[in-house]
Amino acid sequence: MNRNNFLIHLALAIVLILIAAFAGQLNRWRKQWRSSVRVIPAAEKKRASTTEEVALAEARALGRPEVLVKFKPGVSLETIDELTAGFNDRVEDRIENVPGLESIDDLDNADPAEIVAQYSALPEVEYAEPNFEIELDAATETINAPLPPIHPSDPRFDDQWALANSGQRGGKQGADISAMHAWLTTTGSDKVVVAVLDSGVDYTHEDLAPNMWKRPASVAPYHDDQLGTIEDEDGFNAIDNESDPMDENGHGTHCAGIIGAEGGNNIGITGVNWKIRIMPLKFMNAGGFGTTKDAIEAINYVIDRKKAGVNVRIISASWGSTQRSRALEEVIRKAYENDILFVAAAGNATTNNDRSPHYPSNYPNVLSVAALDRNDALAKFSNYGVKSVAIAAPGVDILSTWLGNAYEEKSGTSMATPVVSGVAALIVAENPRITVEQLKKRLLASVDPLPALKSKTATGGRINAAKALR
Amino acid sequence: MAISKDEAVEKARRDLARRLNVDASTIKQQSVEDSDFPDMALGAAEDGEMSGQMITSGWRIRLGADGKNFEYRADKNQVRLYKYKGKNYRI
Repeated sequence: MNRNNFLIHLALAIVLILIAAFAGQLNRWRKQWRSSVRVIPAAEKKRASTTEEVALAEARALGRPEVLVKFKPGVSLETIDELTAGFNDRVEDRIENVPGLESIDDLDNADPAEIVAQYSALPEVEYAEPNFEIELDAATETINAPLPPIHPSDPRFDDQWALANSGQRGGKQGADISAMHAWLTTTGSDKVVVAVLDSGVDYTHEDLAPNMWKRPASVAPYHDDQLGTIEDEDGFNAIDNESDPMDENGHGTHCAGIIGAEGGNNIGITGVNWKIRIMPLKFMNAGGFGTTKDAIEAINYVIDRKKAGVNVRIISASWGSTQRSRALEEVIRKAYENDILFVAAAGNATTNNDRSPHYPSNYPNVLSVAALDRNDALAKFSNYGVKSVAIAAPGVDILSTWLGNAYEEKSGTSMATPVVSGVAALIVAENPRITVEQLKKRLLASVDPLPALKSKTATGGRINAAKALR
Repeated sequence: MAISKDEAVEKARRDLARRLNVDASTIKQQSVEDSDFPDMALGAAEDGEMSGQMITSGWRIRLGADGKNFEYRADKNQVRLYKYKGKNYRI
């Protein structure tokens, strides 16, 4: 070869190499583009309703190997190659550490769903599935994203709009206490005792029985100088000054269920607390009314039990009147001084408690609760008062436990009060050493402001259990 | 034992006759309506009485005698006289 021929051949070789290199780079660019730009036909994505369908749509759009096929043990590589060739497919990759698992590319670019179906029908195949795309960014987002809210297994939960308002029965979606998010932090504790000061509680109700308080053996029976010793295994009955607090009305049982019907037991409803200890106190009779004196007796009992070592931190009081009692005010103050929060109903007379006081909700050291409907409006019956009513909670058409293993919907600030008591108990479960002052402040700072409550309550908002636990 | 609407009206009529010292037959039944009351004392609590703050369904019974009107409130558990001479009474 002369010098000129050599130079010509060399130039041709360089040109060919450059063309090949350029073509290779083009191919790499094409592959990079295809793996970074996820163009999925909108119609396909719209049709895809399940995760698997979305994956199939994406696989088609990206030209990824469409399916992963696991052949049964004993199927030879030759057989696999024959089977794939028969479908005009090719084994794109062989997963060596999982014998029989093949990544298969369809050369016809057919619908991955069809390919999955083809392979699944073969007797040699254990399973076939679409090639799901795993994105690093998406995975990171999943780790950082909030966990999905907890949905309890209790069959009537979807009727409990106060806990999770999905807009059922004409309600406003999200007009609830964010219970499902709160439960990511805690579902309550059987170390926390809430006193339900009411008409007693049906402590045999199937959705309440596991969460009822029993006097621990380490705590001596209740002794009062005038009443003598009362074997208070199940609570206290201030009407008859005896131990049995069985509810004869239903009101106290309803309030107890809101606070702590056992959650996740596949029965009935879910309480704000799934686990708790409810101390039943009876001072109202079968008609749902009682005397100030018996209320005082029952509060005195709670303070005594606290001093005896029972971790009772909240008294839930879904009752009241317009008559002031200094004695009742005094015993509530004593409870507060003993680290017990007193939560009370604001009343149902549609009146302004700043001008026409309602008790005990208007006493100092009491957290007064107004009622909201399922649209985040102040309930048409609820009392209010920017100075005297602290906070609002759902209180209309509230489903809860009733006498005889039943469930009923009831309305009133009676129903809103145990919602707040229940949230207070969740806070205590998560913060066992919290003081009553801190607990009260935490509750007041845990509201979702609502336009309907502006100039109606001190906080102007609805209690939010998830915020209360942050 | 649960009280029926008719029993509640009769109980109210007898109570008013006794208070006014008149024959029960002279008491006129003006109206009996189903009604929701603000609490379990039917919005008619006596002195020193506390009641559950739950909306309670019952009957509003309006009676007339001696040219005056009187209101009773009742449900399956109770009958009450509302604001009689400024006070409430559980019958």
